[in-house]
Amino acid sequence: MAQTKREMLIDPMVDNNPITLQVLGICSALAVTSSLQVALVMGIAVTLVTGFSSMFISMLRNQIPGSIRIIVQMVIIASLVIMVDQFLKAYAFDISKTLSVFVGLIITNCIVMGRAEAFAMKNPPIDSFIDGVGNGLGYTILLLVVGFFRELFGAGSLFGVTILETVNNGGWYVPNGMLLLPPSAFFVIGLIIWGVRAWKPEQVEEREYKIQSVEAH
Amino acid sequence: MGLRNFFDRIEPQFVKGGKYEKYFPIYEMVESFLYTPKTVTTVAPHARSYIDMKRIMTYVVIATIPCILMGMYNVGLQTNVAIAEFGASGWRAAIIDMFGIGFNPANPLANILHGALYFLPIYIVTLVAGGIFEVIFATVRGHEVNEGFLVTSMLYALIMPASTPLWQVALGIIFGVVIGKEVFGGTGKNFLNPALTGRAFLYFAYPAQMSGDTIWTPVDGFSGATALSVGATDGYAALPERGIEWSDAFFGLIQGSIGETSTLACLIGLSFLLITKIANWRLIVGCLGGMIAFSTVLNLIGSDTNPMFNMPWYWHLVIGGYAFGLAFMVTEPVSASHTNTGRYIYGALIGFMVVMIRVINPAFPEGMMLAILFGNVFAPLIDYFVVQANIKRRAKRNV
Amino acid sequence: MSETNENKGFIRRFLDAPADSVGKTVFVAVALCLVASMIVSATAVALRPIQEVNKLKDKQVNILQVAGEYDPSANVTEAFGKFEPQVLEIATGTFTDQFDAATFDDRASADNPETSIALTDDPAGIGRQSKFVTVYLLRNEDGSLDKVILPVHGYGLWSTLYGFVALEENGNDIFGLQFYSHAETPGLGAEVDNPRWKSLWSGKKLSDENGELQITVAKAQPAAGAEFHVDALAGATLTSVGVDNLVRFWMGEAGYAPFLENLKAGDI
Repeated sequence: MAQTKREMLIDPMVDNNPITLQVLGICSALAVTSSLQVALVMGIAVTLVTGFSSMFISMLRNQIPGSIRIIVQMVIIASLVIMVDQFLKAYAFDISKTLSVFVGLIITNCIVMGRAEAFAMKNPPIDSFIDGVGNGLGYTILLLVVGFFRELFGAGSLFGVTILETVNNGGWYVPNGMLLLPPSAFFVIGLIIWGVRAWKPEQVEEREYKIQSVEAH
Repeated sequence: MGLRNFFDRIEPQFVKGGKYEKYFPIYEMVESFLYTPKTVTTVAPHARSYIDMKRIMTYVVIATIPCILMGMYNVGLQTNVAIAEFGASGWRAAIIDMFGIGFNPANPLANILHGALYFLPIYIVTLVAGGIFEVIFATVRGHEVNEGFLVTSMLYALIMPASTPLWQVALGIIFGVVIGKEVFGGTGKNFLNPALTGRAFLYFAYPAQMSGDTIWTPVDGFSGATALSVGATDGYAALPERGIEWSDAFFGLIQGSIGETSTLACLIGLSFLLITKIANWRLIVGCLGGMIAFSTVLNLIGSDTNPMFNMPWYWHLVIGGYAFGLAFMVTEPVSASHTNTGRYIYGALIGFMVVMIRVINPAFPEGMMLAILFGNVFAPLIDYFVVQANIKRRAKRNV
Repeated sequence: MSETNENKGFIRRFLDAPADSVGKTVFVAVALCLVASMIVSATAVALRPIQEVNKLKDKQVNILQVAGEYDPSANVTEAFGKFEPQVLEIATGTFTDQFDAATFDDRASADNPETSIALTDDPAGIGRQSKFVTVYLLRNEDGSLDKVILPVHGYGLWSTLYGFVALEENGNDIFGLQFYSHAETPGLGAEVDNPRWKSLWSGKKLSDENGELQITVAKAQPAAGAEFHVDALAGATLTSVGVDNLVRFWMGEAGYAPFLENLKAGDI
């Protein structure tokens, strides 16, 4: 893997985005994207955890016994997540209230584990850190895009600032309630993946099977 | 046949290599709408039948005519009754005044006209908004626009509440066409019913305009609960006290979405579909069976706190969207199961789910839409197991 | 010199040992757990005081908001100093000194069989009701009572709603209602947080002249009159019913009625 550090950082943001290409980390993307502010904090938290867990795991990579490597990775990731959770509770209490269990669930976020297992176990610490941060940022970017649509059309605001005055507050905009419900993120993510793949057709997977036409006799 | 000549003359410009090659789907749409397609299958396998997709779709549209008429009559009737109390306003009232027909609920013509003034705008918006997206996809993907959309748009317009804002109508059908159908590859590849997908989108996106007591009759200040929400709060026994006799629900003189109130009209349409063999009777048997069986079980269990437990099956049949869904949605061939055994199971699953949602889920008084979408999702799985069971049985026989 | 070399040799030998040997597996597992647990607990312990303050402040902000005393720029703790917490014995409607009002935990009390009762008639859907709750009194400059803030909770559609009702000193006029914790449907039931809907509560009355509890959340105005009626949330029937039930339960005989009697009699 002869990547430059710059590529390591930029690549996961669009071309190899963990959500749109690998479809990882969807669960939390559904839960925390109804408002941009929450999505941003969640993105930062995941970026920090992915970056540092990859770095620590990479430092220990030659010493980690193969038989317990997943557990070792989990311990490191879990410790970092708990620390992030504690810091949020101490310094960003309101946001930690809305994020509630989802901070804790970063532990189970496939992106973190995926990068640890796929990259950090084979690469030096600094590269692993950059790779982790890049993937975290790829996740954050997508969260922000989803959050943008959901908050703007679901609640008529961005970062809590009213853009479209809603009917309930005496304005004209009838908010789309479905966008505030978690399943709507499926649609938004699905449409984004559709758009990205239309833009970059090389991301489309090979079909598993093809419908063949029978030759005329 | 000047028109035919015209088509023959312009056709070369639209076929491959022609000037407007890209716009062939649009040409094809107009031409095949007016004339029988002249193309025939050239590769095996051949199946000869008098029926083609165009005829199926046209028959379904014909089958909805009783519902359209009854629906327009009922919307007009409910509106005119309400206007007697709350007064008329808006452009529809202006048109009616212009013709001097008035708002007399006893005059069937006045009712139908008033109903048409609600139904037609919804239907036209549906056709235009959905049609634009159909054509865009057909042009980009190079497939044909087909009559399936005529069915989708008609069914969609009939399951709207009469007061739905037109921009929401447009948004819903676009969502239904794009997410319910086109992302999966277009007509024939959709596993969800596009009309219901659009309706479900509106239901969750704009619940205030899609549920409640004030939306069914489009008169300001009027509030009338649907039979289902009365049943959910006070029990079915309270329905006659609230002015809803079983016969009212059967003929369709109650609150509800435009085309779904009249069970009679739905049954007429259904018989037409069954006689022409477009609807598969196994689906109907399954769906009726599932609903009757499960509602009877709930009747027997009974409940002191939830009055819906005691609603008998013949009420479930006539209120809400059950009859309409049974006639036009459950029987939709693409999204239903394709195996005969699967059709019974698919129908029964929907019949079971509709009672389940109506009776046991506190948040949704009506369950037909969600039950059918739920059934749609399960249809391929049901087929899979039916086919697997077949394979196993045959393998056993040949050991 | 030789010692350090030997020492180095030991670490070197350890690092070079195959990672999969049993000894190393055990060592790595134990060492990692030790280090991780130390770091985690150190963070938790170090940040606990700040977190406690946050939790307390959050509750105080809610109380300030329901009483209409909230000013985002002002110091919360200072503003909250005006409020006087008291532990109320619900059955008698009088304050009790059995518990320390500053630390009394209503929810823990509701779970404790000794300080709570299991409800048989339970319209609010709360299961167990604590015999004691913390209420907050807001006094005027001259020491006379201005408002009382009473905690309420009950089941809506999906979740238990926790909130406060602020009453004027006469124990009958509502000043405000606010929920600080719930999980109702966004856009529908969650509109209980909408300032416009909350403002509907201001100025409503609990009971009529005969002392009959009349306050209700409903779509249609009841016979008792507009001053007892709060319009239900559009499209959120069951959340509205839940709020109706919980307010009527807590303001009724099983709730604060004895306390409100005392309040009206001027005994507080």
